Amino acid sequence: MTSDSAVITLEAVSKRYGSRTVVDDLSFTVDEGEIVGFLGPNGAGKTTTMRMIAGFTAASTGRVRVAGYDMATQNVEAARLIGYQPERPPLYDTLDVSAYLRFVARAKGVRRAAVPAELERVIVACHLEAVVRREIFKLSKGYRQRLGLAQALLGAPQVLLLDEPTAGLDPGQIQETREVIRAFGEHHAVLFSTHILAEVTLICRRVAIINHGRLLAIDSPSALRRAQEETHRVSLQVSGPSTEVRDALLSVKGVIAVDVHAMPDNAGLLAVDCRVEPRQGLEAAIARAVTHRWDLHRLERQEPTLENVFLQYVKTRPDGA
Amino acid sequence: MTGTLAVYQKELASYFRSPIAYYVVAVFLLGTGYFFLYNVFLTGETTMAATFQNMGILLVTLVPVISMRLFSAEFSAGTAELLLTLPLEPWQIVVAKYLGAVTILVLMTAATVVDLVPLYLFGTPETTTILAGYVGFVLLGMACLALGLFFSTLTHNQIVAALITAAVLLGLWFVGHLQSFQRSDALRGLFGYLSFAQHFTDFIQGLVRTEAVAFYLVVAAIALTLSAGYLQWRR
Repeated sequence: MTSDSAVITLEAVSKRYGSRTVVDDLSFTVDEGEIVGFLGPNGAGKTTTMRMIAGFTAASTGRVRVAGYDMATQNVEAARLIGYQPERPPLYDTLDVSAYLRFVARAKGVRRAAVPAELERVIVACHLEAVVRREIFKLSKGYRQRLGLAQALLGAPQVLLLDEPTAGLDPGQIQETREVIRAFGEHHAVLFSTHILAEVTLICRRVAIINHGRLLAIDSPSALRRAQEETHRVSLQVSGPSTEVRDALLSVKGVIAVDVHAMPDNAGLLAVDCRVEPRQGLEAAIARAVTHRWDLHRLERQEPTLENVFLQYVKTRPDGA
Repeated sequence: MTGTLAVYQKELASYFRSPIAYYVVAVFLLGTGYFFLYNVFLTGETTMAATFQNMGILLVTLVPVISMRLFSAEFSAGTAELLLTLPLEPWQIVVAKYLGAVTILVLMTAATVVDLVPLYLFGTPETTTILAGYVGFVLLGMACLALGLFFSTLTHNQIVAALITAAVLLGLWFVGHLQSFQRSDALRGLFGYLSFAQHFTDFIQGLVRTEAVAFYLVVAAIALTLSAGYLQWRR
């Protein structure tokens, strides 16, 4: 499990609160120069895992290591190397943006002389120039979120832990935040959790899926998609009566289920979604079944999306499976 | 050291950028001013003794307002996740926050020096007695703040932290009164020893007794150690 370049290592990590197990026997690594996406429904144990890696809470059993430091006993030494953005940005409302960043920089041990340049760097990276003098309680949600990211970047960390860094941002800001993460991840280790699956596909080398505190899968987004071939779909647009179209398609061998609904902006045209077995040539058979009676306007094979892969994992593998 | 200093400065900035520090200092000075006028001008005695006694009880009621936010606010605002993942040991964070609160205490104490002006203008007060009173007052405040800090590590809710602190401090202030109801010498001794007010009375009378100094410092040290230990344990 442990590779030489692993910066974050979790070995059989569990966290229990009383009789409730929040994280259960979790093992994975994040390497240097790697961005790993952390997926899971709400309450899956993502935040608790992040907190254990950041050193905010200690694992009940198992071992968390960051850059070789054991987070159970050496969390203070490791803290210098970790940039952590909790789910809720850890902001002091009464301070202004620059006073807040100065505090975090100094508390992380940045030398006094280096503080102005350090502040400048994260302010530019996180696009906070317009609000440097503003008190934090007056900031919009997007700015609060980006200030939370900015404090995590202070002090040249080697590891970034980001708990839903793009939550509450508008599309432009999401794009900018992704760029920051991508640039940082070229030379450092990044673990970030998100609900936006497209984000994971765009910037992550690997994805970890957890539910009920257990790791269900960790692999590249494309490998995860391949592993879930049964989620293949064929979608088409046909002009014809809906029940007959449905029956004709269901009679094609390899078609598992058919979902038909009228196109809202085009009367007479049906949008059809078929769940199909993963086998070659099915599109042709579907096309033949339709074209000899009705007009086929469009036919498209849908590759399995990460959404489907994710739902498949989360639904079909409940705890203990 | 740099990190501890940064937390201390952040603490002070937080106090002065919120109304709390101004409120506490204002109420304290108004109260002290009133008691001073009453004690000196109505009785004609040029001593601070009675005023110090009143300042003590005023302090016990105001300390919870200063200390309630120390950790409770960090927990409820989510900033504890930043604070407790900084490259700082829990005791460093505790000490930094404690010194921030003690700074407020020292400032409000220093502001009462205004009262001494008429005292020295119109009378001949004993300077050493007054100094002893101030030393005792600051030590009393330090013990109270350390206890308040400990209670604020236990809850996310500032109001709960303040209420527990107020109850405990008032209990420790008045516990000496229980002496009169005890037959057992041991209990009388214990209640007397625990009494924040009785130790303070020594200072007001001009006595800086090692036992009294040690009492307040030991109470503060125990409370601060418990706080750091609790923060470590709750991980």
